[in-house]
Amino acid sequence: MTRFFWLVSAGLLLALPLVLLLRRRLVIVAERYKHLARPFSPMAGLLMFWLPLPVLLAAIGSLIDGDLMGLFNNGVGYSLFLGGAMLLRRGLRSEADYSRRQVAKTPWPFKALGGGLIGLATGMVAWTSAGHSPIMSIIFGSLALLGCYLTYGFDPRTAKRFTDRDGIDSTDRVLHALTQAENSIAAIEQAIRNIHNAEVNSRLRRIVGQARQILTMLEEDPRDLRRARKFLNVYLDGAKQVTEGYARTHGRAQTPELENNFRQVLATIEQVFGEQQQKLLEADVTDLDVQIEVLNTQLKREGVA
Amino acid sequence: MPNFLVKLIGLLLIVATVGVVSCQALAAPGPDVAAAPSALPAPRG
Repeated sequence: MTRFFWLVSAGLLLALPLVLLLRRRLVIVAERYKHLARPFSPMAGLLMFWLPLPVLLAAIGSLIDGDLMGLFNNGVGYSLFLGGAMLLRRGLRSEADYSRRQVAKTPWPFKALGGGLIGLATGMVAWTSAGHSPIMSIIFGSLALLGCYLTYGFDPRTAKRFTDRDGIDSTDRVLHALTQAENSIAAIEQAIRNIHNAEVNSRLRRIVGQARQILTMLEEDPRDLRRARKFLNVYLDGAKQVTEGYARTHGRAQTPELENNFRQVLATIEQVFGEQQQKLLEADVTDLDVQIEVLNTQLKREGVA
Repeated sequence: MPNFLVKLIGLLLIVATVGVVSCQALAAPGPDVAAAPSALPAPRG
């Protein structure tokens, strides 16, 4: 049995470089066509959920055998592994958010905490369940921690600050505005769940999609925040209040007048959100035009062009 | 050292520690059956 596990481990060790090489080739090919910030991959950190599964099986085996000590050791070990894997995944997710945004707070060190918990779990399982000496168990735990650090890296340690044109640090203001907008969108999504009208719901989902796209544009370039102030303070907040009000009342009293008014308001909101999106895109194009013009002038002045 | 190589070493370390220790925990022998009290009465005399 032990020989079988050693063979499986050796096979995994040999197969891993091949899989990584193939994956790297695929990523290189994909990146030729896509030059965007890398989003959070749904597969990121899943390895740490799969690898400790034999500990769960050992806990189940101990339960069947009536081995209370084994059940406790393997159960606690697997719980630590699971907690570590969840923290690690959360850390990877917040790192992806951090790298996507131009303005961001320093994220919580979830990756470091997860790696620490995985190292602790490895050491504990090596000592209590696999029967290694305490010194060997500490070595196992430390190597697992090192492996987590080398594979997933450390958490970002600095905040991405934003200074506006007047030279004032407006990081907190930008983050506050973005969080409020995110809360309004979440409130509209919550209200959609209470509205039982397929047509209204699909229209509201379209509006939420548009709002999210605008928010992503603002996250990527917070200079646009000034241009989108009306969208954030008036339209998005208004859309939230109207949708929440409709969700509250339409269940109790269904009047055709209310339905018509709400439909008209939704059509207006959809149009306004679309215009806002277009305005931000046009502003980006104008900014780029200005930059090209400045560069052209500079090149001409220096006699290059 | 290239980033790819660092990640590869990290992954190998994780598999060699977490994977191996987990498999060893599964393969470890259960409680000692001989030490369990016998249900049969002891022979007299």
